[in-house]
This record gives sequence, structure tokens and C-alpha cells, in this order.
Amino acid sequence: MLPRRSRLSVLVFLVPPLAVYGIAVLFPILQSLFLSFFQWDGTTAPKAIGVANYARMLGGDSVFWHAFGNNLLYVAISIVIQIGSALIVANLLLTLTRGHAVVKTLYLLPAVISTVAIAFLFQRIYSVQPEGLLNQLLQAVGLGHLQQPWLSNISTVLTAVSIPEGWRFTGLYMLILHAAFLAVPAELEEAARLDGASRWQVFRLIRFPYIRPVWITTLIMAMTYDLRGFDIPYLLTNGGPGQSSELLTTYMYKTAFTSTDYGYASAISVFIVVECLVAVGLIFLVLRRRDQS
Amino acid sequence: MTALTYAAPHVVATRRRRIAPFKVLSRALIILIVAVQVYPLLWLFMTSLRTETDYTEGNPFALPSALTLENYARAFRVGNLGRNIVNSLVVTLGANVLIVALGMMAAYAITVLGFRFSGVVRALFLLGIVVPVQIALVPLFIDYASVNLLDTYQSMIIPLAAFALPMSVYLFGSFFGYVPREAYEAASLDGAGPYRIFFGITLPLSINTIVTVVLVNSIFIWNDFIFANTFVLSDGLKTIPLGLQNYIGAMGKVDWTATFAAVCVTITPLLLVFLVLNRAVIQGIESGATKG
Amino acid sequence: MKRFLTVAVAAAAALTLAACSGSPKATSSATTGVDPSGEIKPHAISWLLSRPADGAVVTIMQQLAGEYAQSHSGFSLNLITTPDRPSYIQKYETLAAANKLPELFDTDATPFAQKLASQGKMVDAQALLKSLGVYNQFRPGALNYQRFDDGSLYMIPFEYQPEFFWYNKDLFTKAGVQVPTSLDDLPQICAKLKAAGVTPIALDGQDQWPLERYIAYKPFRLAGPDYVTGLKKGDKQLSDSTGKAAAQWVSDLGSNGCFSSDFSSTGYADAQALFTSGKAAIYNIGTWELSSLATTKLSATVRDNVDFFTLPTVANAVTDPNEYVTSSGIGMAVNSKTYDPLVRDFLKFALGKFFTIAAQQGSLVPVTGVTTTVPDNATPLYKKALDAADHVGTKLVMPWDTQLDPTSNTRLQQELVLLAQGKTTTDQFIDTMDTAIKQNAPKYFG
Repeated sequence: MLPRRSRLSVLVFLVPPLAVYGIAVLFPILQSLFLSFFQWDGTTAPKAIGVANYARMLGGDSVFWHAFGNNLLYVAISIVIQIGSALIVANLLLTLTRGHAVVKTLYLLPAVISTVAIAFLFQRIYSVQPEGLLNQLLQAVGLGHLQQPWLSNISTVLTAVSIPEGWRFTGLYMLILHAAFLAVPAELEEAARLDGASRWQVFRLIRFPYIRPVWITTLIMAMTYDLRGFDIPYLLTNGGPGQSSELLTTYMYKTAFTSTDYGYASAISVFIVVECLVAVGLIFLVLRRRDQS
Repeated sequence: MTALTYAAPHVVATRRRRIAPFKVLSRALIILIVAVQVYPLLWLFMTSLRTETDYTEGNPFALPSALTLENYARAFRVGNLGRNIVNSLVVTLGANVLIVALGMMAAYAITVLGFRFSGVVRALFLLGIVVPVQIALVPLFIDYASVNLLDTYQSMIIPLAAFALPMSVYLFGSFFGYVPREAYEAASLDGAGPYRIFFGITLPLSINTIVTVVLVNSIFIWNDFIFANTFVLSDGLKTIPLGLQNYIGAMGKVDWTATFAAVCVTITPLLLVFLVLNRAVIQGIESGATKG
Repeated sequence: MKRFLTVAVAAAAALTLAACSGSPKATSSATTGVDPSGEIKPHAISWLLSRPADGAVVTIMQQLAGEYAQSHSGFSLNLITTPDRPSYIQKYETLAAANKLPELFDTDATPFAQKLASQGKMVDAQALLKSLGVYNQFRPGALNYQRFDDGSLYMIPFEYQPEFFWYNKDLFTKAGVQVPTSLDDLPQICAKLKAAGVTPIALDGQDQWPLERYIAYKPFRLAGPDYVTGLKKGDKQLSDSTGKAAAQWVSDLGSNGCFSSDFSSTGYADAQALFTSGKAAIYNIGTWELSSLATTKLSATVRDNVDFFTLPTVANAVTDPNEYVTSSGIGMAVNSKTYDPLVRDFLKFALGKFFTIAAQQGSLVPVTGVTTTVPDNATPLYKKALDAADHVGTKLVMPWDTQLDPTSNTRLQQELVLLAQGKTTTDQFIDTMDTAIKQNAPKYFG
């Protein structure tokens, strides 16, 4: 706490953001959480049904649980791609003496392009007719027997929709990690190097621990964004074939705007919120335990 | 800073001898990775130059057999690209100003000033990170309609900024945690109040974080479809993602080559901004003005 | 903190309820005047629609609104179009939930629309068209397509689109197959076409509805249009002989390789390109694509080989061969809350002129007595299609996606893909769907 702060100064800084946030985010969210105890189709008066939506969701809805399982795999794949390649590239960039700005901008490109175009590109990459890039490449390297309709095969589709999501936003996380790496004091690294530390050891013992708080931030960002991933699967497969690539978010969206079952959709979104909170909690728990050991 | 200059010649000398192969390898890797990331844009650009028959009948990944600007002509004729770009710029700029200003203020109050319930307020903000936006659409729309906020720039800017606020507060908060306490205490002893410290110390130190926050949010806001589609009714306010709908024909038949031409035109302003901003970050770091 | 939450939730509750209580409970406004008294006061009106931005409806309506504004200073028509249908539906439902629908809005004859109509939020279109004196000009089939199953009419059609099976004569000859006379011929034809190295049927699986047509065909021929109206309410089950035959047929289409292996992720434009580039032999689509299929713009090898046949029949069919899917497109509803003499007067003006202009531009229109002009760059096939459109019978295949309750419909679309892929058996399919309809139908038709 600053010694010379006044109650007024706290209010001056806190009230505007909290007001905007409270009115534009918290209030509508509370309203929709509230809706999860109702049955409401958007036109007739809402009917209070207690926890029936939750009972239906947790008890008997097989699509919901299918989507939940899909979501976990989807997040796992996206995170590995995002954070893994972000870490590698952020490090590699440190070895460049010039051209950071250009490489960083180029690396961000996929995030800038509109989702509609990205989805279409991947539809083309995975397609069979006209023969997509992936199937062409497999043919070219003599793996023609592996060719298949990646987005129509129920056992490959989930991986196929996770990859674009991971690939697309890795640039953002790289940007954040790279900024953190730049802040690692050069003298720390140099001292370690003089002691004969290898490149890997410098990374593992100096650089990485130094940026750990940023790394955790990035991990949480990626995790919560991916748990709410929506548009690529929605546009590429709309959850299909069957429910093979249905995520909780696409299921929630369909429940709200196709089935106009806003109460049940709210219950699903409450679940998504809880799921995100649990994920964040787990990250902290695991990392704290490691700190203690 | 002095330590850095002192160590510099040493670093260069040792590095050059030991790691030449590593350097080559890392360069090659960077080029490869950049190629993977740049490829989609090149592909889009190439496809936007294809003729209609080449597009429908040719190999989509081969070089075009003939080039044409007809797709661009169609993109401009059918759509209202200039207007869409201006609208997207207004929305992105407006939202970013709010995100940065409000985010910094909240983070400053929570992390630097501190108060009794700061933990609770921080938790409230964090809650916003994990909520899927789709679910708030109907209540938001009802609320906005009741205060006549529909179909204006504000109706896009406010929810976009507010939903991005938690992440902004979080990023600024974790950055402010890096600033050494002594800096504040010294300033306090010199008689500086919370306002002077904010503008004199925190703000200048945060340039790097500001740029990161702006970059990240610009990407999401520039491509936002769901809020724009919900709150905008008139043609004059349509942003780029809504404008791309102009190329959808009967029963969902998309004119892809015109869409790609439009995408190529509309990402140009954003890319320019990015190049400039990225340069700003690097200059900021190199001049030693920021840490964090 | 606790107190804050309590207050917020209470406020939220109040607001939500306030927003909903705005909806009148089945007032009588549905039956009240379609000819409101009072003078015509020009003001701005809006039409929320889901049609192509440069398509006939939008361009002609803009032109007509301009003309109308010249004699009615202060009038303007704001056309808010969202051509992508799922995005449109999200927008339309959000506006409906907030009671903010504009003067005119597009909707299919879905259960959701029926709820709006039953709450008196739409003007009775049948009464309106009659009072404007244009009701009898409409083709009965075009109006029937817009009706809810109780026979009431709340939407006005602007299109008329019979759906045909377009095929490539050259590819048929090469594979040694004839145009099918029975639906049961289709699987064998596919097998032969596939053996000849072409994709038998170009299918846009991404948009779901094209595949859903195929489950509707067999029941329409075997049991007529009432089958789906019974099915959707749970009065009939897919496990009856008609349902079984329908499921078996779709499964047979799949197992005989009718659709490409990646049909479920093939988009609209791609499916059409497969056909127009001569890689696919059959393409099932409506006349809204006439300008892409019967045009001299197509490459010469395909152009002169394109022809069409209509929905094949079956032995002992209860519907005539000239009865098949004939859609009149998404319809336009008139908001009863904002209905006034001006809206009526403008509709009178616009409906009086629209169809003549649209027909001159080459569109098929839902009214009789105007002749559609064949465009200059059309092939003779264009005329043939127009002639066929004039001889469509009275019973219609209602697309199932507008009939079933939306939750069951979503499930049906998903399960159909699996059925056609052979990833589920017909029995599993029937079982899943009957269960889904039983669970969900009461919420919409109870």
C-alpha cells in the first residue's frame, strides 16, 4: 500500500472501471446465471424450475458429457501447441540481434486474419475433394495410405479442429513470453554462463524461473480462452459429424439460439465458468506444490 | 543499464565462438516457423487473385494459372469496405482507450494503492475472464435496449471493452507487481501523492505492457463478430466482420474469392498498426525505459 | 459482498421479468384489423432480413422504397440483412426476446415463429393479403409453404423455388445409367457412377439441410406430407414402416457411396463446384441456382450436358410425380406492434410492383400472371425449369428442418450424417431420434 494514499484516491481509481465492468459484464452475467433456474424460450414468461436444468445437465444429457470430454482433449491439444511453440519461438527470438519486430508481426499473422477465412483455409487443408494440402503432402512423402477426410472422420475430427485454434493464437502468447524474457537481467544469465552452464541450463535455471509468474499468466490465459473456444469448431464442423467435435460452448450456443432454451444454456455456461475456475485452481495448486518441494 | 554495457563486449566475444551451429539452427527454425505462420496469408492473397474457373476447377494449393483483379473489383462493388474499415478503426480505437485507461486504473487501485477488500475486487474481475460471452448476449441486449444504446458505436465499444477489462486488469496488475516498492516509497518520501505517482512513475513504466494489451485486444476486437452482429442494425455502422457477410449469396453460397480479396484489403490497416507498435515496444526496451 | 450479490440478483430478476412481461399473453391483436384507421404518416421503417445483399429482394425493395419516398416525404426503408442464416437466427431471436423486432422481419414457419404468432406479435398475413386484394394472385403452393400446421398464414413469400435433381448427361452415359424413375433406383445408380470414377451426388453437408432433404423424400412418397406433422409431435414414430424405409434409404445411399467421403465438411460453394466442374454427376438444388446452372458462363463441356429430373417416385406412392419440394423461401412477417396505416400502404405499393420487376430480372415469383424473363446468357435449360415450375402439383414436401422442434432437428441433422457415413445403424438411428422427439416435442407442441 502506498503510504500517502487517501480513501478518495482509491475511489477515484477504482470506481470508474468497476462501474463499467459491473454494469456491462457482471450484471448481465448475473442475470443469465439467474436464468439457469428457469425455463425460458425468449418469448413466453420464464417459469421457475429450481435446479431442474442442472439435474438434466449432470444427470441425463449424454450430449453434454460427450461435449465435456471433447472439450478436455480440445484444450489439451490447443495448449500444447500454443504454449509449447510460444516458448520455443520466444527463446529463439532472443538469439536474433535484429528483425524482432518483423518476425513478431509475421508470427502474429494468423491471429489477425478473420476467423471465417481461417476456417475456410483449414477446410481446404483437410479436404479430400479437391485434394487438400495435408493429403497432398502425405501422398508426396509416400504415406498415401494415411490419406483421409480429416474433418469427416469421427476419430480424427476433434484433433483436426483443435490444431487451427492452437496454431492461430500462439503468436499472442509468444508476444507476452518474449517481452518477459527480454526483462531477464543479462548479468544473471552471463554469470551462469561464466560458471559453465549450458544453454539448456541457462534456460531451465535462470530464464524460466525468472519469468514464471508471466508463464503462469499465459497458461491461465490460454487455458481459459481454450475452454471457451468456439468459432473455429463452430465454423469448420458445427460439432459434427454426430457430436464428435461438439464442445460445451458450441452446445451451449445451439441450446440458446437454435433450441431457444435459454435456461438450460445458462446452466451449461455456469458449468463452463466452474470448469474454468477449477482449471485455474488446479494450475495454482500444482505449481504451488512444486514450489514447496 | 551500466551492468549491461559493461558485460556486453564479453558476451559477444564468447557467444560468437561457441554457438555458431546453434545460431544457424535457430535461424533456420525461425524461418521455418515464420513460413508456417505466413503461409495462410500468402494463400489467401493468391486465392484472391485467382480467376473463377481456376478457383473452382484447379488445385487450390498450386500457383494460380492466371491472375485477375476482378475479385477485388467485385469486393469493392458489392461491399462497403472503406466504411467498414473506418467503423472497425473507431470501435477498436475506442475500446482500446477504455481497456487501457480503466485497466490501469483498476490495477493501480488494487495492486499499488491497496484497500481492505482488494482481494474480493480482484476476484470479481477474474471471474469475468472465465465467462463465455455468448451467454450474456440476451440479457445484454435487453439491458442496452432499455437505455437506448442499440445501434451505436458505444453499443459495440462498451461490451467489447468491458469483457476485455478483466484480462487487462490482470496483465497490468501482474506487471505493477514487478515495479520495485522502493520506487514508490522514494517518490512518496519526496511528497508525491497517488496521482503524481500514477502519472509520473506507473504510466511511463507501463508502455510495454500497454502495447501488449493493445495488441492482444486489437486482434480480438478487429475480428469480433458476435457483439457487432447483435448490437448493430444499420449499414453505416457495420464493422469488417459484418461487411464480409455481403459476399454471402442465396442459401449461404459464399463468394470466396471476393471474400478473400476483402480480407486482404481489410487486414492491411491492422498490420500497419502492428508493425509500428512492435517497433515501439522494442525501442522502449532498448532505451532502457521499461522493465517488465 | 453477500449483500451486494443479493441486491444484484434481485435487480437481475426484476429486469429479466420486466423484459419478458412485455410480451402480451395471446392478445386478440392477431385477429384485429389489418386495415387500421388513421392517416398515413410517413416515417422510417426497418426490415430485418436474411437475404443476399445484392440479391433481387434487397435491390428491388430499395428501389421501390425510393420511389415510395418521393410521394411520401419522410419515409425510408432500412434493410438490415444478415445473409448467413445461423447468424441471422441468433440476431432475430435476441431481438424477439427483447421485444425489439422491427416493422418487418424474416422468418421460416418454425415452431419459434408459431409461438410469436400465437402471442399476437405478427399480423395475420392471410387477412392482410386479402384486404390488399392480392391474395388470389399468389400460387397456393407458395403460400402453403409459409403456413403453420394449423393452416394459419403469417408470412409473405417473395420467391418460388422448385427443387430439382440436376445431373450431368455425359457422366450418366459414361457410367451406363439412366435417370431414376424410382427412389429405390438411386443407390444402384450411385454405385455405378462411383465405379466410373465420379462423385455420384454433390452434397453440401456443412449446411445440414441438404442432407435432411433426403430423409424427407421417402416418407413423402410413401405416406404424404402429413407424415412429418405427425412425427414432429410424437404421434408417429420413425420405428414404423415408413420411418424404417426412410432411414434404410439414407443408409443405402451412404453405403453405395452416393456422397463423397468428406461430404460432412463440404461447403455450399464447393458442392456446387463439384457439379459445375464435371466431377459430380448429380446435384440436388432449387431454382435459385438457375443462374449458376443454366448459364453460358459454364465451361462448354459441362454446360450442354446439364439437365434435371424431378424427385423420383416409388411403387404405390400417395403423392404425384409433379409434387416435390417447392419452397417459397424465407417469409416476411409483419410486426403487429408497429403495424400502422403507413406500413400497410407501403406493403400495398411494394407488393403491387415487386413481382413484375423480379420476374423481369429472371426470378421465379410466387404469384401467377407474370412471366419470368429468360436472361440473355441462359441456356435452354432455364426455360425448361420455368415450365416445370408452372406444373408443380399441390402437395409439398415440407423441409423437415422447419417442421421438427429445433432441439430434435439439431439431433436429427447430426445423426443423419452418422447414418449416411455408416457410423450408426438404422435401428440405433431410429431409436435415438424417437427418444429425442419424445423428450423435446412436448416443449414446443404441448
